[in-house]
Amino acid sequence: MTVEGVELVCPAGTPAALKAAVDAGADAVYLGFRDETNARNFPGLNFSRPELAKGIVYAHERGARVLVAINTFPRAGQPELWHRAVDDAARLGADAVILADLGLCDYAARTHPDLRLHLSVQASASSAEAISFYHRAFGIRRAVLPRVLSVAEIATLCAGVPIEMEVFVFGGLCVMAEGRCSLSSYATGHSPNIDGACSPASHVRYRDTGSAVVSELGGFTINRFGPGEPAGYPTLCKGRFEANGKLSYLFEEPSSLNTLDLLPELIAAGVKAFKIEGRQRGRAYVADVVGAFRRAVDAIGRGERPAVEMLDGITEGGRQTAGAYERKWR
Amino acid sequence: MLSERREPVSRPVEPPFSPILLAGLALAVVPPRLLQPLFDAILAVVRRRHPDILDRLSDFPNAVIGIDPVDLPFVLVLEPWPEQPRLQVHRDFELVQASAVIRGPLEMLFDLAEGRIDGDAAFFSRQLVFEGDTEVVLALRNAIDGAGINLEEDFAATLGPLARPLLRASNIGGRVYRRLAEDMGKISSALLGPLLRGSNTQSARIAELEQQVAELRRGLKARGRG
Repeated sequence: MTVEGVELVCPAGTPAALKAAVDAGADAVYLGFRDETNARNFPGLNFSRPELAKGIVYAHERGARVLVAINTFPRAGQPELWHRAVDDAARLGADAVILADLGLCDYAARTHPDLRLHLSVQASASSAEAISFYHRAFGIRRAVLPRVLSVAEIATLCAGVPIEMEVFVFGGLCVMAEGRCSLSSYATGHSPNIDGACSPASHVRYRDTGSAVVSELGGFTINRFGPGEPAGYPTLCKGRFEANGKLSYLFEEPSSLNTLDLLPELIAAGVKAFKIEGRQRGRAYVADVVGAFRRAVDAIGRGERPAVEMLDGITEGGRQTAGAYERKWR
Repeated sequence: MLSERREPVSRPVEPPFSPILLAGLALAVVPPRLLQPLFDAILAVVRRRHPDILDRLSDFPNAVIGIDPVDLPFVLVLEPWPEQPRLQVHRDFELVQASAVIRGPLEMLFDLAEGRIDGDAAFFSRQLVFEGDTEVVLALRNAIDGAGINLEEDFAATLGPLARPLLRASNIGGRVYRRLAEDMGKISSALLGPLLRGSNTQSARIAELEQQVAELRRGLKARGRG
């Protein structure tokens, strides 16, 4: 099986994480500016313009590309911040921008016709019709698929669209309505899709009751972890609630996507880029996960099955899943 | 100017049985003020070599962050104020109004600072605990991780001509420390092994009894419906 042209797209929340990703074998690094124009607008994270300029030099000198995520939706009547982000990414030499908003796609296509455009998972485009529309209208060259499709459905999609498909292969999972989820907005009044932060830290509290740690979001209790029980992100979709007298994770359990075993099938399906989630994670996570996937992709290139790599220690809740790709719940 | 008062701590992280814990016992008699010059020097190094840390914390100009290395008999209080940042040593947080407190074993805090482990993973595994303003904690974690700190290089740059001999001594010290930690791990296993085995047996017995109770309940329910 050939892996020629398959790109490993890796997260960077800081310049140190960018270096870690490139040094560990990333083909491309994706990152965002230090404001609400990207969907990981967390305190202390992301890149200033000078940091991006240096990061691009570092990556390019080592043969890696830099993709700038500008994947939130501009506030009504105030698109300037998002326009400036596109302009600056183009000016500083980014290899592509990752967009979600129709208006911003239009702006980027008209203002920077030579800039490569990728469609963010935040656009939630999961059909050949939707993806082809973005290609025809704005010249989108690659779409990041939502995590709702099985491998067979991805294969059908790849055959039916004229552009590259990128899929998530590792990291945190959303409840599969990316770009349209309002759970966090309901609890906090801040939209992940406009303000760029799901479960913003300003609204998260951890309370130690002596027998357990209670996590709260916007005043709502969303989970209670007993002694030694692995914790997860403080998001409502991973909250543990009581319904019909039974306490359970109603939406999804805290666990991380891991598709190391599925990479050969995804390549055979026609996928052109593997995306690792985790711009909010540290450089140790980036180095570990990127290294593991680099070795896996290289092994496939040599005609071998990827080796089993233990990544339990860095997963959410200490658990892993193949998510929708296998759809065992159907 | 201080932020909100932190909530009281009811269950701090248990310090691991390590050489640091023993060193901590020795340090218990040392007044914190005698350690202050060391931390003044550390902050000076940070300001000179990693100004981006304070830059990334600039959205929190009034933050007061407590850092509790649980195996040492003192705590640190970081005020990342842009004009006059301070890193102070205290015996505890009794007189400190902190926005947030981070607790963990010293070795883990060093590993986090140098990016050898991931902060989220340490939190998921409950080895790292924090309280108070989550935004401030996250900003500090991201700022430190993003700075690409390498403690050896930082100290080498600070010590000048003394760097080479001191780093060599530090490497020897590191080897001694690892050996000591290994030996203490063996002692800990020898002492706790029988207790853990007893505890595991009891846990298994409790699980078995719980299963029996659940089965009895199901049987009673089925009989009630019948």
